[in-house]
Amino acid sequence: MPETVISVTNLLKSYSDITAVDGISFSINRGEVFSLLGPNGAGKTTTVEILEGVRNRTSGDIRVLGEDPEKSRSLIFKLGILPQDFSFIYNSTPKEALDFYKGTLTASSDLNEILEMVELGDKATTPFQKLSGGQKQKLGLALSLVNDPEILFLDEPTSGLDPRARRNIWNVIKTLKEKGKSILLTTHYLEEAELLADRVAIMNKGKIIDSGTPMEIVERHHEDDNLIIRGDGQVENLLGSGGYQFQREGPYIKVGLKSIRDATEIINYLYEKKAKFDDFTLKRESLEDVFVRMVGEIEEDETE
Amino acid sequence: MKPSRISAYFVLHAKSYMRSRSALFFQIAFPIILILLFGAIFSGSSYSPTTLIVQNESPSAASWGVISAINDSGLFKVQVISETQNLSDYITVHSVQAALLVPANFTTNLYNGGVGELVLKGHTNPTVASADYQTLNGVLTQIDFRTSNTSQKLVLSSQVALGNTGKTIDYYVPGLIGFTVLSTMFNMVYTVPNYRRERLFRQLSFSGLTKSEWITANMIFSFLMLVLSDVILVTIGIYAFGASLTLNAETIVVSAVIIFGGLFFFTSVGILAGLVSDNEETVSVVGNLVMFPMMFLSGVFFPLSFAPAYLVTISKFLPLTYFINSLISVLDYGNISSVSLQIVYLLIGSAILFAIAVKLFSWKQK
Ligand SMILES: Nc1ncnc2c1ncn2[C@@H]1O[C@H](COP(=O)(O)OP(=O)(O)OP(=O)(O)O)[C@@H](O)[C@H]1O
Ligand SMILES: [Mg+2]
Repeated sequence: MPETVISVTNLLKSYSDITAVDGISFSINRGEVFSLLGPNGAGKTTTVEILEGVRNRTSGDIRVLGEDPEKSRSLIFKLGILPQDFSFIYNSTPKEALDFYKGTLTASSDLNEILEMVELGDKATTPFQKLSGGQKQKLGLALSLVNDPEILFLDEPTSGLDPRARRNIWNVIKTLKEKGKSILLTTHYLEEAELLADRVAIMNKGKIIDSGTPMEIVERHHEDDNLIIRGDGQVENLLGSGGYQFQREGPYIKVGLKSIRDATEIINYLYEKKAKFDDFTLKRESLEDVFVRMVGEIEEDETE
Repeated sequence: MKPSRISAYFVLHAKSYMRSRSALFFQIAFPIILILLFGAIFSGSSYSPTTLIVQNESPSAASWGVISAINDSGLFKVQVISETQNLSDYITVHSVQAALLVPANFTTNLYNGGVGELVLKGHTNPTVASADYQTLNGVLTQIDFRTSNTSQKLVLSSQVALGNTGKTIDYYVPGLIGFTVLSTMFNMVYTVPNYRRERLFRQLSFSGLTKSEWITANMIFSFLMLVLSDVILVTIGIYAFGASLTLNAETIVVSAVIIFGGLFFFTSVGILAGLVSDNEETVSVVGNLVMFPMMFLSGVFFPLSFAPAYLVTISKFLPLTYFINSLISVLDYGNISSVSLQIVYLLIGSAILFAIAVKLFSWKQK
């Protein structure tokens, strides 16, 4: 039996006018990367902040490392937290911020190593207000690592980062996972969740609408696989006369497949007809495709 | 409360503070500029006093005694003109701001146990004349010329008392110390709403730092900054402008206690003001609403004894007045016993207010 480090049962949080989290339950095992996904306002940050002990819940039961974060004073020393809207004292430098954390948390970590890990070494003595958005974000991540925490709460750690920096943070998260850290990750980049998360939960309007491994979710909700062909109008005409359903998307033609094997049949058909096309790929729906549809369907249901 | 966390935050705060030009300006540079300014304007008055034209129509030991006492106060340089001149003409011809007339009945009235009336004759500018009037009035009160036995001896003994109260710079040193204590309020008035908006208290709490530790570190730092700026003020006051302050182990310790109480008081006011301001505009409105009346009416910028009665009444409701009065009493006169009860009240009041402010000041999100 894997050890449960976070358990959430019927968690509910209402603000004066809305219910931000509406009776959700999930648990996270030690060493697992668990990702909360959902559109803006779904209730992800609220959930994470309740687990961090920053906000009080309205009802429900939560346990983080066996303790109630609302009451425990010592829990904070075992957690690493990167909030969504991370900010710091405007004229303190990353070096000073890290020194401060090291002092208060009585940690023995190597601060230079942490700075290098998040690629902030050359900005160690730049005041916070003079850092770029992405650099600020990296400082937030660096601070969450000072106490070598058992659990990390990373609320959108890669938003605002350039693609290379994002990949670097992914590597940091992978390294943390290898070290056996448990991580609760929220993100709007579905590929990030697909790549890093062992399990995901998709939230919408305060409720979890599905959860499981990314593969399981895609498996449960995917529609037809697609054959993507880069080709011109001639290819379209041929596909039309062959009786295939397709859609044009920019330079690509997307052909829906009942079964993956149909792909060979279509390609052979186009060869026979001497159609000119540059390349083709076979594409299953990604978590993002499935996500957009799941969340979109609910929106549509409600507007009916 | 853990000392290691307090010191970790102290270091972080001190470094950020030292990098903040506006904080340094208001804490250190501004009071220095003010004392240089006040010193230049007012300390001069004791070395090159306003010339006061005096005409004595009632020559006697009593009247000349009063006139020489006025001269010895250091606030006026008396220049006597002959009885035969027409004083009003003299004022006009020589463009004199104001001149003092000792009327013919002055001595007789005094010897009959009545009031010896002196007349200040003004020229055109009423405010200057009125300032002269206030100052002169203060001087005359000290001389106590209503005693029927106006011997030379009485006048001389008044001179000693005047030697201490006469110099305006003596008065401004405690006033400006009060000002530095008052400005600690602004650390909180701006920090609290700003840190709440930026959610920095939440971020600090992730480091394990608690609210009480944060406040303690802030107070220790503010106190050290106060000691620094006040030592500079006193040094400039004494060495640059010749302020005569009573400095000994006792008065220094008691002054430090008053400053410490003031720090608690105004930090609490700052926290409370910061809590009611939820955006930048209200911050400066609330801040100035608290700051300016106190600054001007508590005697930082001008001695209240010269102010109209209704302002004096208002000042009685402003806590800063009591801090400054206590400091004046201790630093200028070395008089601790007469204000010791007042100091105890101030400390108790500060402690209560501080407890309320800390209680209302929550780091948690709703
Ligand atoms: N302090 C607050 N007071 C009132 N309502 C709030 C407060 N904080 C959040 N909400 C509301 O709660 C809901 C959930 O917000 P939350 O921040 O948890 O969403 P989220 O899933 O993190 O969104 P995003 O992806 O944009 O970060 C939103 O409708 C939001 O408007
Ligand atoms: Mg969020």
